[in-house]
Amino acid sequence: MPVLYRASLGYLRRHPWQLFLAILGICIGVAVMVAVDLANASARKAFISTMDILNGDASHQIIGGPGGIDESLYVDLRVRHGVRDIAPVVSGSIRINGTTMQLLGVDMFAEREFRSFVTLASDSETSSNTAIWSAESLVRGFLSGEPNVLLSSKAASEFGVRRGDNLDLIANGKKYSVKLMGMLGGDDRQQLSNLVIADISLAQDWLGLQGKLTRIDVKIVEGDEETATRIASLLPSGAELLSAAGRTQTTAAMSDAFMTNLNAMSLLALLVGVFLIYNSVAFAVLQRRGLIGVLRALGVTRSETFRLILGEAAFIGLAGAAAGVVAGIWLGERLVGLVAQTISDHYFAVQVTDVAIGPLSILKGVVAGLGATLVAAAVPALEASSYQPRLAMTRSVIEQRTGTLLPTLCLGGLLLIAVSAGLLWASGSSLVAGLVALFLLILGFAFCIPLFVKHASSVLEPLAGRLGGTAGRLAIGGVGKTLSRTGVAIVALSIAVSATIGVSVMVDSFRDSVNDWLNTTLQADIYVGVPRGSVDPALVADVVAVSGIEAYSTSRRNWLETATGRIRVIALQKEPGSFAGTRIREGKPADVWNQFDNEGAVLVSDAYAFRLRLAPGDSVQLKTGQGMTRFSVAAVYQSYDSNDGAVMMSRATYDSHFDDPGVDSLGLSLQPGIGADVMIDRLRAISEGRQVLVLSSNASIRELSLRIFDRTFVITNVLYWLAVSVAAIGILGAMLALQLERAKEFGVLRAIGMTPGQTGVLVSVQSGFIGLLSGLASIPLGLVMAWVLIEVINRRAFGWQIDFTVNPTALLWALALAVGAALIAGIYPALNAAYARPALAMRDE
Amino acid sequence: MSEDNVQIRISNLTRSFREGDLRHDVLKNLTADFRRGETVALRGRSGSGKSTLLNLISGIDTPDMGEIEVAGMNITRMSERDRTLFRRKHIGFVYQAFNLVPTLTVSDNIRLVLELNGTDDKVAEQRIEYLLDAVELPDRGRSFPDVLSGGEQQRVAIARSVAHDPAILLADEPTGNLDDKTADRVLDLLDKLVRQMGGTMIIATHSAAVASRCDRVLELHSGQLIS
Repeated sequence: MPVLYRASLGYLRRHPWQLFLAILGICIGVAVMVAVDLANASARKAFISTMDILNGDASHQIIGGPGGIDESLYVDLRVRHGVRDIAPVVSGSIRINGTTMQLLGVDMFAEREFRSFVTLASDSETSSNTAIWSAESLVRGFLSGEPNVLLSSKAASEFGVRRGDNLDLIANGKKYSVKLMGMLGGDDRQQLSNLVIADISLAQDWLGLQGKLTRIDVKIVEGDEETATRIASLLPSGAELLSAAGRTQTTAAMSDAFMTNLNAMSLLALLVGVFLIYNSVAFAVLQRRGLIGVLRALGVTRSETFRLILGEAAFIGLAGAAAGVVAGIWLGERLVGLVAQTISDHYFAVQVTDVAIGPLSILKGVVAGLGATLVAAAVPALEASSYQPRLAMTRSVIEQRTGTLLPTLCLGGLLLIAVSAGLLWASGSSLVAGLVALFLLILGFAFCIPLFVKHASSVLEPLAGRLGGTAGRLAIGGVGKTLSRTGVAIVALSIAVSATIGVSVMVDSFRDSVNDWLNTTLQADIYVGVPRGSVDPALVADVVAVSGIEAYSTSRRNWLETATGRIRVIALQKEPGSFAGTRIREGKPADVWNQFDNEGAVLVSDAYAFRLRLAPGDSVQLKTGQGMTRFSVAAVYQSYDSNDGAVMMSRATYDSHFDDPGVDSLGLSLQPGIGADVMIDRLRAISEGRQVLVLSSNASIRELSLRIFDRTFVITNVLYWLAVSVAAIGILGAMLALQLERAKEFGVLRAIGMTPGQTGVLVSVQSGFIGLLSGLASIPLGLVMAWVLIEVINRRAFGWQIDFTVNPTALLWALALAVGAALIAGIYPALNAAYARPALAMRDE
Repeated sequence: MSEDNVQIRISNLTRSFREGDLRHDVLKNLTADFRRGETVALRGRSGSGKSTLLNLISGIDTPDMGEIEVAGMNITRMSERDRTLFRRKHIGFVYQAFNLVPTLTVSDNIRLVLELNGTDDKVAEQRIEYLLDAVELPDRGRSFPDVLSGGEQQRVAIARSVAHDPAILLADEPTGNLDDKTADRVLDLLDKLVRQMGGTMIIATHSAAVASRCDRVLELHSGQLIS
């Protein structure tokens, strides 16, 4: 290795803590990025792979409206039109031993062309490859009239059942005893662990879908457009033929905005890491300004100096990125559960058991880590190489140069903020442009912070002098006078703390808005429903007739699927004279309900209206039993139940367009004097033995909703705490370097009589002041960040409209966090400065 | 002075520095010649411009006006890169504060200059061994600078400064940090090595004793050189 690089390596070896902290900073940044990438990719991959397996060999699927499709369509296609490669499917959610499972009802005669895991089912307890049944015996078992089911061997073992055992299954609020006939076959058992297979007629009974199918799977040879067109032409107006893979992709794409936001959060940690790398490299350059001066005097050229500094940074970046990838895989395994939970709560059911470690995620981590380091190091490396050899030896010149640069830097920052504002204004509804603008805004603010620190420090220095004498002036004034060393650390901490303000104000505002919305929406005293099913019509009639009920409303919530996505359709029969607990955002309240009740008009959720640019008076087209039907939009209403968008219509309008008489839930308003507990007892008595109803007070629904809300933001919290930890590491590194840099100064102070305690306090006061300035600088940035997150990012990603509310406690917490992080980071440097031997410190300098 | 024998020619050299709004002329229309093989002491009060002149001769700094020719090459017209490469090859430096690279061993400090000049490894090894013998530190090659005494560090700095046989050796208060006895030893060494390589040495110094060892003494006063 050339001697020049050996000198560089020697420097790193002599400052192991600085090296370690720099590597750790970039390591955490890369780890968060890799972890989020792996978790997102794994969740998506798990979903797509499960869907691919469940779809089997089906290339297309025929789907209907919210009520499904009539089973006569299948018979018609097969018998009358001779379409052979089709299989009817009924699917829905059921529960076994408290676990939600997916029930797939299949027709064994049609099935062999589609799903091998069904036709290769086995009577073996352990392996699919032994004792495979003949197709005949499998069909016989399914048609025996017994309630036979198939499970994966993993699920059977979890439920503690063996072949021939009985187990209880709850579907559509009713309990059934079923018999485990055998295990699913094939090699993909992991993805099938959540699946229950039964004969289609049994599934129809259990799910309350008599005479209905969820879909018809179709096998069309690739490129055979003629058959596809022919089948599509045979379908009634409420049904359509969609590509199976396309449906899977469309469903998976629903979580894109969520995943983009997570990626942005992970990039924030890396951005903080970039500042820290800049900090570390800038320190390394500053500490060696004398050495660089000597090297330049000896004949080392500018480009050699640049390469030397960049080479060092590349080493740090590579080490940090490598460690970050390993840590990212570990972290990804922990985050994937949170990601999957959120996706399951809001988009589609996904079960992820393993993190799929893709080479692309690893490559992205290494490139981002190394790239971020080189970008961050380029500035100090350029600076080092631009030193005149003589100038390189004087520190005051560097501080002077930093001081003169500050106004220009601040001006550049203001320019970036202006560009960011322009981008926000001009970028329409693009989420990526919104995120880019947010990052530009952060950078712009970051560039303004050092000037603020310089002024704050010089303004407060006299006050510190009055309070703490020369030592006080040294501590406070020193921060502004050593900006080349403290500035970047303060910026890094400010960004991290402002992220906590931005995210917490956004989450608090969101939570408050959701809480308000729940208070408005949940107006009934008791809600009656069936988990993942509908209430029996006869039971509905009996429930509303129970004495003590003053009024009731009913609702049906279903998904309407299209080739480009899905829409939530809500059918509402509201209490007479009530406004259905709906907050109108746009529209004339006086006219809305008349149009809704009597003119077939619909209400669209604010998310849906934002995405499709809808306003009252516009119209939406939905596929109904009568084909594509246009509905007039009466109003835009506030809703947080789905970011895919929702269309609400009266029950009468729904019934006239869809063949789906089901009721998901009832809202009961009680007569005065009737307690909720008494009514719940009455309802339990009336439903006993008929259907297991879920009876909830509005308070418990609100509590559950807010619990799901909080769960959604757990991963966000994890990510921003990681960003804060990266910043705290940066402050520790900065304080250590500062202490090293000022070793001689501390040595002199100790030599002239300052006690170790006084020296330690001086360093701690300085650390606390750095934290305070970071905290103060982070407040305006945090609030602007929160506004952008609420009004731009959330709106563009999810369409939600959130009322901006600021809780002053959040700001105080952020301030305390900044000061606390800086004080903790300053403990070791303070001890080091206090107990350094003055003679040695002065000699070393 | 014969034209052939001039190693350094300085003509009308001016260099000033700004301190706030004030302009401080350190060197004013300074003209001087230095012969090949001679040793010159540069004296003057603190701030008289001794170090500035050394920096200008080595190409570390550039003048406001005037020209400097070293071994027939006009370094004031060179680019920054060319001046660096020129310095790498032709100039040796000895500082008052030694300025050794603390993270390199004694041998590596000397090797660094040889490596920068593209010296073959084997030749470099022999040269380092020779120089360590010459500065009487044959067994300290593997030591790091911070375990050496001031005198030892300065001897390493001298070895490093002559390692590549520079035509010119510039020494800025080379004995300022040393006691008289050690200073004598260091000066003996400098003298011996510079005379061996036949180079020109300019020593900036306050010390009359150091100056008395040189062939010529020049005094820097009000930006001008006086014999």
